[in-house]
Amino acid sequence: MTDILCPLCGKPNPSELDECMYCHAPLKASGFLAPSDQEGDESPFLTPLDTSAEAETSTVKSEPGSPLERAIPDWLKNTEEKFLEGVESKPEQPTSEEISAQIESLLNPPVIPENVVEPANDDDWLASLLAEAGGEPLSLGPEEEQLGGPAEASDVSITEPFIEKPSDEEDALPTQPAEKPDWLTGLEAASMIKLSGEITPGESIYAEANVEPEAEEIPSPIEIPDWIGQADVMESSPSQKEPEPPIAAAELPGWLEALRPEEATAATEPVEDLSAADIVATGPLVGLRGVISARPSAIKARKPPTYSIKLRVTDEQHARVEMMEALLADEQKPKPIPSQPILTSRNIFRLVVAAVLILPIVWMIITNSQRIPTPQPGSVPGVVDFTEQIQSLQEGVPVLMAFDYEPGFSGEMNLAVSTLINQLMLKNVYMTLVTTTPSGPALAESIIKSVATMEDELGSYSYYTDLGYIPGGTLGLLGLANSPQAVLPYSLDGINVWATAPMNSISIINDFSAVIVMTNDPDIARSWIEQVSPVLNDDGTPLLIVTSSQAEPLIRPYYEANPSQVKGMVAGLAGGLAYGRIVGNIQQNGVWDAYSIGITASSLIILVGSIIGVVLKMPASDKKKES
Amino acid sequence: MKKILPTSNAIIAVISGSLVLLGYFFPGVFGNIQSILIGWAIILAAFALFLGIFNLAIVHWKKAKTTGPSSIYSLVLLISLFLTIIIVSLSGPTGSFSLWIFNTFQVPVEISLLAVLAVVLVFSGARLLTRRPKWQTVLFLVIVLVVLLGSAPLFLLGEVAPLIALRGWLAQVPAVAGARGLLLGVALGTVATGLRILIGVDRPYGG
Repeated sequence: MTDILCPLCGKPNPSELDECMYCHAPLKASGFLAPSDQEGDESPFLTPLDTSAEAETSTVKSEPGSPLERAIPDWLKNTEEKFLEGVESKPEQPTSEEISAQIESLLNPPVIPENVVEPANDDDWLASLLAEAGGEPLSLGPEEEQLGGPAEASDVSITEPFIEKPSDEEDALPTQPAEKPDWLTGLEAASMIKLSGEITPGESIYAEANVEPEAEEIPSPIEIPDWIGQADVMESSPSQKEPEPPIAAAELPGWLEALRPEEATAATEPVEDLSAADIVATGPLVGLRGVISARPSAIKARKPPTYSIKLRVTDEQHARVEMMEALLADEQKPKPIPSQPILTSRNIFRLVVAAVLILPIVWMIITNSQRIPTPQPGSVPGVVDFTEQIQSLQEGVPVLMAFDYEPGFSGEMNLAVSTLINQLMLKNVYMTLVTTTPSGPALAESIIKSVATMEDELGSYSYYTDLGYIPGGTLGLLGLANSPQAVLPYSLDGINVWATAPMNSISIINDFSAVIVMTNDPDIARSWIEQVSPVLNDDGTPLLIVTSSQAEPLIRPYYEANPSQVKGMVAGLAGGLAYGRIVGNIQQNGVWDAYSIGITASSLIILVGSIIGVVLKMPASDKKKES
Repeated sequence: MKKILPTSNAIIAVISGSLVLLGYFFPGVFGNIQSILIGWAIILAAFALFLGIFNLAIVHWKKAKTTGPSSIYSLVLLISLFLTIIIVSLSGPTGSFSLWIFNTFQVPVEISLLAVLAVVLVFSGARLLTRRPKWQTVLFLVIVLVVLLGSAPLFLLGEVAPLIALRGWLAQVPAVAGARGLLLGVALGTVATGLRILIGVDRPYGG
């Protein structure tokens, strides 16, 4: 019985079978009978090859067997045995690197050095088998003719397995089997993916070929190793002379793309598509594509993007904002003052108060009432001393007089001031007028003229000078105390009075015979006392003050001090009347009675108004407490 | 320049203040320098018064140009100011026209203001207890009545000696004590401010 060797797996099959019982490869179309009559014959080509392979690599294992087995090339058997041994000894699944390396070795032809003569493996046995199958014997190529005999082949050092070199004999094998098994189709697909370069070394071939790895772990007698399928692929690709079509990129299923590890994608270098990149037109990089242009437009400032600053407010917040805006706008609106009736209780009360105050005073002045006795000089502090100081003045001596009261207080002050000026005029004292208020010069001139007019014997009194206003407040007073000529060099008339008598004898302020300050302001009086009095007291020049009732309490301590800084004082209307009473110049004219009745009326109004208010307030407060 | 000026200002202020202060303690040595510096300050104060009047005129000139109810008052002020300046310049500060303006307008206006003030104060005193019925108000009103009744002999009653004595005590002891306390506080503050200016800590002149 003649067995048929499977062209794929090389295993003998009964002749009645149409396909291989191991790998289901078709036997009739491409199969061939085992050359049993050629048992013991070895291919003249393979013999030296085997010896050389045994001697040098010891990878090919020559093993005697049946003629059919001997008909199989040693490289095929050796490879098959290795594969079977590997499957049996390594039940575990091979690593992906090993599989990739194996596929790579199968796909890529080995690099043979130029000095190595490739042995022709299109041996005779294959030709005989083809002849038996009715095929035409293959013609030897020029390489085979060069090989010659075994002696020539022994010189060849072979380091690569022959199966990795496709040859012409393999092209002669039936390239179109009847039908390919699934595993072979998977391997072909895997090889195509590998060739396309899109498979990374880390990828599993099992996943590429849609083959379950467990199937490899179970050795099957009909299972064809991967290398055979790969060899089949090799038959159709590199040996074809016709131009290869471009390898299409493998399309991985979506689920597989999702399972693709990141390392695999990271390991691949990013490829930038520069076809759509701009070509540099200017600069040193002109003509290059895909480079950063050196034009200023690359760094040209762009207008910053605008972002909306509109706040997202809720309706409630918007309503609150509107309410706040309405409140603020309402605050700025002028509110009309509610018109009040003219005749109200308050206005009536005001009119009553004014009438009660004014009418008695006017009545007393009109009637020149003198019912109230004038105050005694001894009962008013400072008046007696003041009078003595004035009486002690020598005739014609210069006296410094400061008119520092406001015109509004002239009704209270003028009584004492006019009496004073009258006495000074009678003594023919040289009055030097100064002031620290802007209205002082006019006030002084006015009262001097009025006094001179009242006294017929005085006539037009002109023995005085008005030096005018002293600017600077406290500093001016200090300057006046130290050097009056420097502070006030000229009079209001523009005359240098310091060069004429009696002012030519005055260099400092204590050269005056007396300094008389007339003021209603306690601060001005204090300034005079503090700035001028220390200079005056050294020489005994008296400082006399004529003041109002409101300033009297603050000035009085300077007078009552020991030693006193103020030698005499006349305070208020009572002081003026007392001073006039002493000097015999009574100018009452009903003023004292008017002053008295005015004080009395004011006290009564306040007292009665307070009582009425309390009486009217108590029922209202009781009602409020009850409510 | 901006850095030099404040420093120079501070140096001038400190030296001037120190010389004036030393003039009080050593009048023989620093008296003349003190007088010169004070004379300069008086001139500057007079010029400041002139600037104040000029500023017042400018402010009211701006107000007079606006349309409002208060513009008429500013206009009256400007007219009065310029008329007075013209008259006083021609007549002199103590001339007859100047005294006529003074006696006709200024004195009566100021006296009237004080008279109105007296009426308003009496009216307010009468309503004070109604508006604020507290014991402090009662005390205030009692003191007011005592001082008023003790200032002059009462009409038809004459002098009330106890009230006059009580008024004198109130005016000389509590009132002066309070006023002196305020003055002492002001004096201490003035001393502290003067020292700060002398050592250059406070610089009201800028810098």
